[in-house]
Amino acid sequence: MTSIDRALDQEQLEQSKQATAQENEHDEAGNSMFGFVIFLLSESVIFLSFFAGFIVYKTTTSDWLPPGVEGLEVREPAINTVILVSSSFVIYIAERYLHDKNLWGFRFFWLLTMAMGSYFLYGQAVEWQSLKFGFSSGVFGGTFYLLTGFHGLHVFTGILLQGIMLIRSFLSDNYENGQFGVEATSLFWHFVDVIWIILFVLIYVWQ
Amino acid sequence: MKFKTILTLVAIALTLGAISIWVGQLSYSWLPPQASVESQLIDNLFSFLVTLGTFILLGVAGTVTYSVLFHRAGRYDLSDGPHIEGNVTLEVVWTAIPFLLVLWIAVYSYQTYIEMSIRGPMEMAHMPMASSIAPALAEPIDESVQPMTNIEVEAKQWAWVFRYPEKNITSTELHLPVDRRAHLVMRSPDVIHGFYIPAFRVKQDIIPQQNIDFEFTPIRTGKYRLRDSQYSGTYFAAMQADVVVESMADYEQWLAEARQKSPSPAFNQAASEYAAREQKSAKAGWATIVPASPPIVNYHP
Amino acid sequence: MTQIAPKKLPIEADSHEELLSWRRYFSFSTDHKVIGIQYIVTAFFFYLVAGIFAMIMRGELITPEPDLVDRTVYNALFTMHGTIMLFGWMFPVLAGFANYLVPIMIGARDMAFPRLNAVAFWMVPVFGIMFILSFLVPGGPAQAGWWSYPPVSVQNPTGQWLNGEFIWLLAVTISGVSSIMGAVNIVTTILRMRCPGMSWFKMPVFVWTVLAAQIIQLFGLPALTAGAVMLLCDLSFGTTFFDPSQGGNPVLFQHFFWFYSHPAVYVMILPVFGIFSEVFPVYARKPLFGYKVVAVSSLIITGLSAVVWVHHMFASGTPGWMRMLFMFSTMLISVPTGIKVFAWVGTIWGGKIRLDTPMLFALGGLINFVFSGITGIMLSSVPIDIHVNNTYFVVGHFHYVIYGAIVFGLYGGIYHWFPKMTGKMYYEGLGKLHFWLTFIGTTLNFLPMHPLGLMGMPRRVASYDPEFAFWNVLASIGAFLLGMSTVPFLINMVSSWIAGKKAGDNPWRAIGLEWLLSSPPDVENFEELPIVIAEPYGYGKSEPLTENMG
Ligand code: HEA
Ligand code: HEA
Ligand code: CUA
Ligand SMILES: [Cu+2]
Repeated sequence: MTSIDRALDQEQLEQSKQATAQENEHDEAGNSMFGFVIFLLSESVIFLSFFAGFIVYKTTTSDWLPPGVEGLEVREPAINTVILVSSSFVIYIAERYLHDKNLWGFRFFWLLTMAMGSYFLYGQAVEWQSLKFGFSSGVFGGTFYLLTGFHGLHVFTGILLQGIMLIRSFLSDNYENGQFGVEATSLFWHFVDVIWIILFVLIYVWQ
Repeated sequence: MKFKTILTLVAIALTLGAISIWVGQLSYSWLPPQASVESQLIDNLFSFLVTLGTFILLGVAGTVTYSVLFHRAGRYDLSDGPHIEGNVTLEVVWTAIPFLLVLWIAVYSYQTYIEMSIRGPMEMAHMPMASSIAPALAEPIDESVQPMTNIEVEAKQWAWVFRYPEKNITSTELHLPVDRRAHLVMRSPDVIHGFYIPAFRVKQDIIPQQNIDFEFTPIRTGKYRLRDSQYSGTYFAAMQADVVVESMADYEQWLAEARQKSPSPAFNQAASEYAAREQKSAKAGWATIVPASPPIVNYHP
Repeated sequence: MTQIAPKKLPIEADSHEELLSWRRYFSFSTDHKVIGIQYIVTAFFFYLVAGIFAMIMRGELITPEPDLVDRTVYNALFTMHGTIMLFGWMFPVLAGFANYLVPIMIGARDMAFPRLNAVAFWMVPVFGIMFILSFLVPGGPAQAGWWSYPPVSVQNPTGQWLNGEFIWLLAVTISGVSSIMGAVNIVTTILRMRCPGMSWFKMPVFVWTVLAAQIIQLFGLPALTAGAVMLLCDLSFGTTFFDPSQGGNPVLFQHFFWFYSHPAVYVMILPVFGIFSEVFPVYARKPLFGYKVVAVSSLIITGLSAVVWVHHMFASGTPGWMRMLFMFSTMLISVPTGIKVFAWVGTIWGGKIRLDTPMLFALGGLINFVFSGITGIMLSSVPIDIHVNNTYFVVGHFHYVIYGAIVFGLYGGIYHWFPKMTGKMYYEGLGKLHFWLTFIGTTLNFLPMHPLGLMGMPRRVASYDPEFAFWNVLASIGAFLLGMSTVPFLINMVSSWIAGKKAGDNPWRAIGLEWLLSSPPDVENFEELPIVIAEPYGYGKSEPLTENMG
């Protein structure tokens, strides 16, 4: 080891001594957020795999659409998309309110996000009802329901989490030690949104 | 001193090299007879890798053994070894050399691969439908340049059936004329099977519902074994067949004879084992996919 | 070996009484050390189970005819052998080592998420028992090999919805969830919980390798999960993703599977590289040669491991360009791996070597690893792989790595840290006996598989042509010897844990945070967080490792 290395190391040591000691030791919320981000990154690979599968099927299958199916209706899902994507902004506003300690503002916009999410799920349920093909109608039906269903499950989870956070907002002193739960839920919601955008482009736009 | 060290190192390297080359030559005897053009190419490559591998293994194992024998701590010696944290030159060298070796191995393998020019499903692989739509022998084969034996292979749970389309003959034994390129079109109706003839060193998975083109050139007469290489369920191990490589004259004669025979059910290991198992009152084992009934073919041994 | 341990004052018994109570190991504890040992012991149980399956398989294979068990049973046995070995033994035991050692080695009091940690662990017995219970369902357990390739895996001869394959898929998914939870936890811990002064290049190599391995879990496992979900849909809900007769693509599953399962082999070997890197310096009494390069090469392996998976599919109808590309990327792995191997050799060279049991296992593991790495390079060469793919050559290759290198490394690690974990010293004589039985058994068992493969014996067969009999008999004898070799190990562990000599805090005179603690360490690990001031492996330099500890 050269002396320069040593000097560098010394410097690093000083820095990290201060940094690691204070920040991380008791920063549980920070750890949780960090872990949650890692989890989301990992989770995104599941979606990436499904997308990759979809692309492979779409480009190699000769009878892509099941007999009697012309294609997918884009209008309703597009409206749905707009609602889901806007809810990402709404949840951001809610977070801002919480940040400013305005609990009622937070609750209002938080609830609005939940409503928009629920509308999205409702819209999807209506769409599923109207479709002429099922889960087992070839790889097209399979990938369609797999992708939208798996995503829908995430939306549902997001709404559940939001519900929990909403209830928690009525407990006293709940946000004294930071708002990890709210931030994580919100991050999750953005994640679900981004996934939907890719999904929408793949399934509905690219026909 | 320095010079002496270098001399010793060179001497050791030469000895190791000699041993490695010897083992490399020996490696030919670990393999089945070379019954196809491909097998010669592959064996040469294998021998090369064995030589190299022996050298590396002996080098590492030898150094470790030397240390263990001669750098042992005495029983009551509680001191530490020298504080050596590393050596940049050495580290660069032992990064660079493996890298170069890898390049060498890769280039050699690539050349061998090109020479074998096995025609697997290759470009078709990811377009299952496209290839299964095409009729079996759609593309014209340049027979004028190189005569070929065209054979259709059907692999199913758990039997091999070979069809000679020009003569409209079926058989459960694969007959091939020596020194002629064989062109196979392989199909499977159920699951993935693997076409594998160890003496030819060739292997190809048969993906269901696709036509898999495959080529190789047998060069040695004799009887060899064809084995299923891709696990296909209960009677996988029994899914074998014989391959007979014979002179052109014998081959023609076999074709003529086979043509005379009217199709009859061949013996099928899986089917007969299954029947025997069903007969027993106390059933061993669990439910299985029922084997396809024995193939009905012109020729069976 | 105890004779070289410097005499230490006996530790006061009373302060540790509560720590030594066995009951803690059967509770929902959130102490990473308890969880670590829970993982290791549970995993070892599954190892024995899968090992017994292997014994039956080798019993079948001692003769060419399928005479010992029915073919369906044989197929179930190798499927469950492979599956339980990997998901029930390998991943959990490595999670156990990581759990026990990582927080101590980086100077943390526990993992970042202790409760998540416990939940992840308790999923192991759940899916492990699911695997075993699947022997009781009507159609028997899964019989499609541990790859579970469709269409074979979805053929479902019983027609029941509750079948072995169904349980298999469910259990593998649970295992995946558990591993992801573990990975999130371990990565967060390493990146955020290091004690003052513990900069990147002060971390022991074991921590580096665990980090590298767990990153693989994070990006790889989801792909397998995706594949498993689709397969489950095909099996149980009528989809046709992988059914070629309905427009599905069975090769796609192979991609999903290997996209994870190739990197997974580095999940297993990397921490063992870490164990080697910890053990060699201690018993050669020299610093790890080229520490920084060894550390960083782990992450290079992680990176490369993501782009080589197709080498398992060379015969699957892979296009030529893909074969060549993945051949080359696969071969490249030997460069960062070679760096490590040579570094270990450099560490041993000129040291003051002591052949205690951990060192023996590490040395044996190193030699076996180089051998298996070389057969790996042969496999990666497409023309050769076309011949030996799906033959016993492959089985030989990976048992040499998995058993010869990984299990050896794990045994070495267990012996090395046993005094720390239990406060007791194991019996050296039994340890040496265990080593030699294992070494001879491994060679006899797995070396003959290579000539078998070269001769053309396919894997996954219950019967074979008589020409293969000779080598198979040898392999079976070796396997039974290997089975026997676990007996001295078990006796050693149990008896020395109960009645062994007190080991003292640092019987190996090793350098590392874990050796500054009492044996076994207190619940909180560190009374006061250490402030690390030296690089690891400071042998031959007598400098303190920390500013504030002994
Ligand atoms: C668990 C650990 C593990 C490890 C570490 C490895 C390491 C390697 N493996 Fe292995 N492998 C498996 C486990 C493992 N494998 C398993 C379980 C299977 C089969 C699964 C199944 O089918 O069921 C398998 C199968 C497998 C195949 C597929 C064969 C087939 O099915 O046809 C291939 C092909 O390329 C391969 C290659 C390699 C290579 C190149 C390495 C490399 O990483 C090795 C690198 C190491 C060295 C090369 C030695 C040290 C280096 C030097 C001393 C430097 C100098 C050397 C040279 C220049 C060559 N392995
Ligand atoms: C961690 C991974 C691991 C380990 C450790 C092992 C260990 C062993 N394996 Fe492995 N094996 C695999 C992973 C592993 N295997 C995989 C992934 C496959 C591929 C499966 C597939 O194709 O799908 C495979 C396939 C496989 C085959 C090929 C089957 C086939 O293709 O037909 C064989 C054949 O010999 C075999 C044998 C053995 C043997 C003899 C051991 C021995 O090392 C085992 C030693 C035994 C023990 C250690 C326990 C013995 C215990 C006792 C005897 C009882 C004593 C009990 C008490 C004292 C209570 N294994
Ligand atoms: Cu028949 Cu595989
Ligand atoms: Cu691999």
